[in-house]
Amino acid sequence: MLDFQVVTNPALIRDLRRAVGAKWVLDAPEDLIVYEYDATIERGMPEAVVLPDSDEQVAAAVRIARRHNVPVTARGAGTGLSGGAIPCDGGVVIATSRMNRILEVDPENRLAVVEPGVINLDVSEAVAPYGLYYAPDPSSQKACTMGGNVAENAGGPHCLRYGTTTNHVLGLQIVTPEGDLLWLGDKTPDPPGYDLTGLVVGSEGTLCIVTKIIVRLLDRPQSTVTLLAIFDEVDQASRAVSAIIGQGIVPAALEMMDRNTMRAVEEAVHAGYPPDAGAVLLIEVDGLEEETREQADSVRALCDELGARELRIGFSLEDRERLWAGRKGALGALGRLAPSYYILDGVVPRTKLPAVLRGVYEACDRFGFQVANVFHAGDGNLHPNILFDERVPGATQRVLDLGAVIMRLCVDAGGTITGEHGVGYEKRNYMSWIFSEDDLEVMGRVKLAFGTGGAFNPGKVFPSSKGCGEVSSRMKGAIAKAGPDAYV
Amino acid sequence: MVKQTSLISRLQSIAGADGVTPAAKLSAFAVDGLTPQAAVAPSTYEQVAEVMSYAHAEELAVIPWGGGSHMHIGNLPSRYDIALSLSRLDQIVEHEPADLTVTCQAGITLAALQRRLRPDGQLVPLDSASAERATIGGLLAVNASGASRHAHGALRDFTIGLRVVTGDGRLTRAGGRVVKNVAGYDLCKLYVGSLGTLGVIVEATFKLAPLPRAQRTAITTFDSAARACAFAAELQRRGLSLRSLQLLNPAAASGADLPVSVRSFALVLALAGTPQAVERSHREIIDLARESAAGMAPVDGADKLEDSLRQSASPDASALLCKATALPSRLPALIEAFEAVGGSPSVIALPTVGILHASWPTVDDVEDTVRGVRDATAGVGGSLVIEVCPRDLKRSLDVFPDVSGPSFDLMRRVKREFDPAGILSPGRFLGRL
Repeated sequence: MLDFQVVTNPALIRDLRRAVGAKWVLDAPEDLIVYEYDATIERGMPEAVVLPDSDEQVAAAVRIARRHNVPVTARGAGTGLSGGAIPCDGGVVIATSRMNRILEVDPENRLAVVEPGVINLDVSEAVAPYGLYYAPDPSSQKACTMGGNVAENAGGPHCLRYGTTTNHVLGLQIVTPEGDLLWLGDKTPDPPGYDLTGLVVGSEGTLCIVTKIIVRLLDRPQSTVTLLAIFDEVDQASRAVSAIIGQGIVPAALEMMDRNTMRAVEEAVHAGYPPDAGAVLLIEVDGLEEETREQADSVRALCDELGARELRIGFSLEDRERLWAGRKGALGALGRLAPSYYILDGVVPRTKLPAVLRGVYEACDRFGFQVANVFHAGDGNLHPNILFDERVPGATQRVLDLGAVIMRLCVDAGGTITGEHGVGYEKRNYMSWIFSEDDLEVMGRVKLAFGTGGAFNPGKVFPSSKGCGEVSSRMKGAIAKAGPDAYV
Repeated sequence: MVKQTSLISRLQSIAGADGVTPAAKLSAFAVDGLTPQAAVAPSTYEQVAEVMSYAHAEELAVIPWGGGSHMHIGNLPSRYDIALSLSRLDQIVEHEPADLTVTCQAGITLAALQRRLRPDGQLVPLDSASAERATIGGLLAVNASGASRHAHGALRDFTIGLRVVTGDGRLTRAGGRVVKNVAGYDLCKLYVGSLGTLGVIVEATFKLAPLPRAQRTAITTFDSAARACAFAAELQRRGLSLRSLQLLNPAAASGADLPVSVRSFALVLALAGTPQAVERSHREIIDLARESAAGMAPVDGADKLEDSLRQSASPDASALLCKATALPSRLPALIEAFEAVGGSPSVIALPTVGILHASWPTVDDVEDTVRGVRDATAGVGGSLVIEVCPRDLKRSLDVFPDVSGPSFDLMRRVKREFDPAGILSPGRFLGRL
């Protein structure tokens, strides 16, 4: 384990400038402050920010940081929701924003090679002329980067049928803690040896820095149908989720919003949600036209049977976008309900959704906070948003405590503490709720094998009592400014 | 070194007398001709952990065993003391149909698991020629994949949780039982395909798929592999309801008794999905075959066809069996190069995935043929694993691709961290890890 000190170090800055060009190293406080946050409430100030232009420059920056004994934290667009990009122990932030090239598109073999700073949606747009797309679609896909997606194993509404980032990454070029460049995985299936690609995806930047990504592309489905079902009660909607899955239908997406969310959305987007409705389901099926028609009919029948009071259906792109508008605008709209909100991310077995949702409402009542649920119901991936006012003394701390209670509910129902946002800093001490000391020790062996120690993104994923940089004091009075910068 | 008698009595004290194989029957657990000193079949996870603790303390080499159907894969073990059979851990732990997941013990066979899921209209989306014999743990260890990989991906894609006993005897958990989970490192990926060299898999949780409501099979025939691959690519582009596409060279097609002419490449298409989508896909295949001057062969019973396909590249009937991977676009060139090696191999490929199995029932000069297929694979930038070859050859041959360089160093470090005493399937993996 390396020992890092957080002190200003002119020699570090000089060496970095020599490696990547003076203009691409930031060390003025007014520049650094832009890099001390992501979409969570932690803060951590780096000593320097490097904006490399190539894999070689990343490797050089890593070698320099190592020589100066400071940690390196990689950063994409800073849209993360678990503090993954926050430099807890200071050191060097490597921002990938200049490494935003799509290096190769191979339509015949349905793959692309991209740099980590490429924005998620840009991949799909670049390959659209070939009738292809990149499946993982985190709600931040207009802003978030592929490197960040790999680090957090990002999900999105369409993971239900197509899987998360890990199912679509074939290979990675990485920089090791020694500053060496090497390739893991391959364009061809089943590359020989251990699946280190799969291990690095979702490792939250703690094992290596990713400099190139080989992704799998999918053929655009011929037909897509979107249904919107409005229910009086959340319970009915969650039962419909289980019924659809139990019927052997795996929709492309199956999303839910509850009453509080609908209220906010209605004010912001005018989606036409009845004010007294309890929940809305958004269900999307795709495939051959025959398949989507048959599945949409079944979904409609099931929702009817379970007491849906209204069903809307969209076939054209325009109609479908209208049905999605409420969901896509949901997070932005929540700002209308309260000055702040705190986004949680937990997963439960689908059949436990009704019970756990009831538990979430009860817990929020008990703590005296309103909650708005908008989430990937088909995966059992909950996103309760706790509404609060950080100006009320003690409110932030109580919200964090409530968050812990809700995470506990997920774990007790056989679920987990994060489905797509990552453990990061905030949830590292919940890891021991789902993993034994032995389990965590084995994960630690991976870090030993990579030789990472505290070289990359220290303070994340693993339980620790150590605070995040200067954060802990600030955190108590922090502003949960998720607002328009945050996505679920 | 521990004496065989004390080893056996220690194992009996862990797993009971009926959990330890009598010395006379140990040859059933031979790997590449090596017979272990003892074979133990624990009946609980804790017993597995106890066996591993003991093996770790005594530095005894352990090879985990499932049904034995894939034990031909891997290098010659460098040491082999204990066969650790998971055969008594063959239960379903949890199956909640509406969750569309299942948790089972590693020793259950794939066929038994599928039989239990079928009444609920579900399946593990994996097919294997040896489903009756192959266990879940073994299939995970070798990262087995069958033809349905086209539609469902590989084991790494639908394995969401594992329980694994480490080389020093600790029962650990990776992943969980929910379909989305990013808590901690995804160790499931590491264990899948690690050939029993990093830990002993004792339990697995999978995402399931619904049984298709309709199925149909079609066989199209072509005069070249290139035309067959182009046809397959077009079907994929159209998004037809295909569970699998398998391309057979003429030798494989005649070996599988397909009703096609002796020089034809056959593309066997398994359709699955909703009834109308399957019918429409079938119609489109017929139309496209007509337009592209491909032939159509009659299908005489889909089950019978599946059976004969399974037999045609069986490891038991092969003197040499290879798995090669390549970009789908390079498969025609790879098939051509394999045929040019000589000896009339049966070739079955997954054209949309980029995997090929080639088998030789007999080979005159096996070293020459191995050299030939290695060159052929290198020529298209693919990689090659020799899955079956004569036992004598294994003494000198590394069945995996040559590896060197920094990514292999990293794998070696992973192995060292996970199995510091080097007792888990030693020597069997890539680079003889």
